[in-house]
Formats: sequence, structure tokens, C-alpha cells
Amino acid sequence: MTRRDDGDVSILTLSGRLMGGPDTEQFLKQIRDLIDSKRSRVIVDMGDVAWVNSSGLGALIAGWTLLKEKGGSLKLIRVSRRIEQILAVTKLNTVFEIHPDEASARAGFGG
Amino acid sequence: MSGSPGVEIVRLEIPSRLELLSIIDKVVDGVADQMGFEDDDKDAVAISVIEAGTNAIQHGHGHESERLVEIVFRLEPEELVVEITDSGGGFDLEVLEDATAPENLLKERGRGIFIMRSMMDDVSFEFTDKGTRCRLVKRRRAGEADVSGGPAPLDDTL
Repeated sequence: MTRRDDGDVSILTLSGRLMGGPDTEQFLKQIRDLIDSKRSRVIVDMGDVAWVNSSGLGALIAGWTLLKEKGGSLKLIRVSRRIEQILAVTKLNTVFEIHPDEASARAGFGG
Repeated sequence: MSGSPGVEIVRLEIPSRLELLSIIDKVVDGVADQMGFEDDDKDAVAISVIEAGTNAIQHGHGHESERLVEIVFRLEPEELVVEITDSGGGFDLEVLEDATAPENLLKERGRGIFIMRSMMDDVSFEFTDKGTRCRLVKRRRAGEADVSGGPAPLDDTL
């Protein structure tokens, strides 16, 4: 996972899988670190994520909730067809804002 | 690989490590190709088998890597049956809820079996004193045909 801060937006680029192991712990630690640094506008780039399972979805929800509680938000970009299918069947596509790319997600944060 | 006439069986065992589920993903890909499944069905099977494998590793075996999860694929003429077996104590199906209900939507847990049931034609569980077996069924849709036109020459030395 890599993190890039650009203005008041932080971009977390995930890779590999988000399946309830150390990958999800690392993701949530990064979200907590961002909140501690008073950064609450987060884009999660899923383009290199091969797999998300229900545990990984749980981590994304936990991150979304933590940021929302601080008045921030978490948006997903570059979501694969397979992951979109999981988000649709669980109706989590009604929770997460999903954008095709970073520019579109950034525009969604507004001023 | 073996089985009754018209049925072929692929069997594998993996240690209880989530990282190894990517192996199952690759096997599902090959098996689904043999069944002639379209991409959506192929994804549905892969997602569901990964969920069942995750359950077996996390809940059945508590991440004890030396305990083996068995995955058996039965390629039948009209359907693919996948059985995922662990040696754990099982769980209470009664407590499972609708993961998409508004009151459950933001819960961090409890989606695995819901996902499987949404994506497969049939999902059942068998709990015995030896462990838990999850049985997943995906039927061929009209237009999906065995691409090999008969028993497929799958390599069973996985």
C-alpha cells in the first residue's frame, strides 16, 4: 500500500488483496494515521487489487465509518468488474462513492 | 481427476493461509472455462469459493495453517458443484441476517454466506463431528456449453 498526499486529499493505493489478513490491518492503521493527522478526505485506489472478500469489505466499511465520524469521506476509484459485482450484491455500492479515476473523485469532494 | 461417467472431479487441499486462496482462484478459472461459463458466472463461482475458503480458514481453522482445507470441484453435465471442507466446529445458520437490510448495511461482519447465496444457484452446509462442508452449486445457463464438447482433459496434478 502506498500513500500520497495532494493538497487536502490523501490517496491510498492498495494492491494485491484485501482479505482479512495483515493487508486489512495495514489499511485501517493508515486510515487512523490520516485521522490523527487531521486528514479526512481519502481516495482509495483499487486498481491493483485482485481480490476483496467479505473481511476486506468489512475493513473498507470500518475506514468509511471512521472518516465519516470525523466529517470526512472515503471514495473508491478504479474498481474492477469483479469487485464491483461484490459491492453490488451487498448493496455497498449505495454506501461507497465509486469513481472511475482520481480526477473524478477529487471533483466529488468539492471545495 | 476421476468420477462417474460424464462427471469429472478435481480435488485439492490447501493449508489454512488466506494467501493461498489465490491458488483456488486460478483453479476456478480453469474449471469454469471447462464448464463454458460466461464471465459473470465465472466471477460468481470464484467469489463464492473464495468466501467459503475464507470461512474455513478463519472460522473453521482459526488460521492454524497446518490444518488443511479440502476443495473438491465436480464438473457435471449440467452444473458445477464445489465442496469446501474444514475440520472446524461449524456455526449457527440461524443467526445469519440479511446483509443488505438498512440496519446491517454498515456492519463490518456477516456478509460471507450472504454473498455466496446471492451468487450461486444453491448453497448448503453439512455439519458433522468431523467438520463443516460447504456445498456450492452453479448451473449452466442456456447457451453456456461445455467448451470441450465432452469430458475435459483437465490436469489434476495441481
